[in-house]
Amino acid sequence: MKIDTVLTVEDGNTLGALRSFLGKLLTEGVVDYLLVPLEISHGRTLAQTLVKDPARLDRANPFSPVMPESGAAIVAQLTIDHPGKKLGAVLKPCEIRALVELVKLGQASLENVIIIGTDCLGTFEVEDYAKLIDEMKGAEKGAKVLADMRQGTKLPISLRPACKMCNAFTPFTSNITLELFGMKDGVFISLDDKLAKKLKLEAKEAPDRKKALDQLLESRNKTREQVFSEFRERTKTIVDFANCLDTCIMCYACSSACPLCYCRVCFFRTDTFEPESERYYRWADREGALRMPTEILLYHLTRLNHVAISCCGCGMCESACPRKLPLTTIFQTVGEGLQKALNYVPGRSVDEEIPLATIPEVKV
Amino acid sequence: MAEFEPKILAFLCNWCAYRGADLAGTSRFHYPPNVRAIRLMCTGSLDPVYVLKALLDGADGVLIGGCHPGNCHYQDGNYKAMRRVEVLKNILRQVGIDEERVWLRWIDASEGGLFSETIKQMVDALRAKGPNLMRKPSQVWQETVGCKPEKEPKKERVK
Repeated sequence: MKIDTVLTVEDGNTLGALRSFLGKLLTEGVVDYLLVPLEISHGRTLAQTLVKDPARLDRANPFSPVMPESGAAIVAQLTIDHPGKKLGAVLKPCEIRALVELVKLGQASLENVIIIGTDCLGTFEVEDYAKLIDEMKGAEKGAKVLADMRQGTKLPISLRPACKMCNAFTPFTSNITLELFGMKDGVFISLDDKLAKKLKLEAKEAPDRKKALDQLLESRNKTREQVFSEFRERTKTIVDFANCLDTCIMCYACSSACPLCYCRVCFFRTDTFEPESERYYRWADREGALRMPTEILLYHLTRLNHVAISCCGCGMCESACPRKLPLTTIFQTVGEGLQKALNYVPGRSVDEEIPLATIPEVKV
Repeated sequence: MAEFEPKILAFLCNWCAYRGADLAGTSRFHYPPNVRAIRLMCTGSLDPVYVLKALLDGADGVLIGGCHPGNCHYQDGNYKAMRRVEVLKNILRQVGIDEERVWLRWIDASEGGLFSETIKQMVDALRAKGPNLMRKPSQVWQETVGCKPEKEPKKERVK
């Protein structure tokens, strides 16, 4: 049974309390290893780190304001061969959703994995955050940013496009949840009662979060609708759609960053679609002009076909894109249309099969 | 002016649709010569990328022919194809490509007549639609769909 407990915070040091809670998971043997974002480069950025020694958690921040890489891909890397280690993974809601999809795709395992999900306040682009930290004065900058984000203080940098339109900012599935929406300060922890007993945590009634969550959901859904309808309006034909991708340089950064693009070698990186050079000249002869590189639209449409059904909206593709193409918008708009048509919510539960494996016989 | 002759790319599974096409030939069932067949071991092995490539490079139609549901040589390959095509068509619709240019049909090895009928129907349907305007990768990027069917219609076919 899940119960709520409150995290005891001393002197307003929320991060310190979270770190000691995570340390307790290691010392009490709840998990043997923890995957958690740690501040690196003097706090200019954070990186998912596999921690064994609780002493190394002194720079941990489970509410990391940046997400340089999706933790889902890292958990997949750590669990694909069933190592039998007890792993605790501190993940954001979108990372959990992607992880659940990867499990369904046979690319990760939740065996012996304890998911420590967090409420997500949104994340910044890594370069924006580094700049913000550089310009800040004083110690504990990470803690200050967290406090500011919770209070809704206006920061000089804005959230990533994906986060601005995210409407799933609390985890669908997790063993332990670190909750902060609906509270001015302090953190509530939702976890199994047996585990709470082991960690000597008292049950305490959580505050009513519904209002705060509904409010945020409403405003995010509004943004979403606006972005989607504006995009649909703008891309009524395939020509307009292609124009959205006109500055793509085929660097494949989006597919490298996408947690769901799991192929070791994408066939776009092979010579599958790279004919002998003679062919290009022939096309140019026939058409009068040939846009190079030739397969941009094919590449993006193929990626849509492969991952849109499972797209969790983490926006790693857009953050990785050197040209800042509106990839989150494309994948979320088309993805949502597809997911609605097939009545599927990606990442909701490992028990719901991906429609590609379940669509009943349809009349063709 | 001669009638527009659509180009159809057909991905046919080795065990049913391709044999059906063979049978159509050996049984002397006539069908229009607009189809270029590619033999696959199974429709389940067809990645949507190849269908997309055909459409983006100007094929007027793509036919995917496999075994009837329940008859797949590899148990469930045709079901996989069915699911992928469902997803593909949804995405084509959303990005503004005519999904009706993609046909998924079940044709048994014994159904030579059905194969020739299917091709006839498809050619008729595509003739009614007119040419696929995405002629080559270059042209999709034009501001207007200035993709004139290159030098088409070609010379009239000999009956």
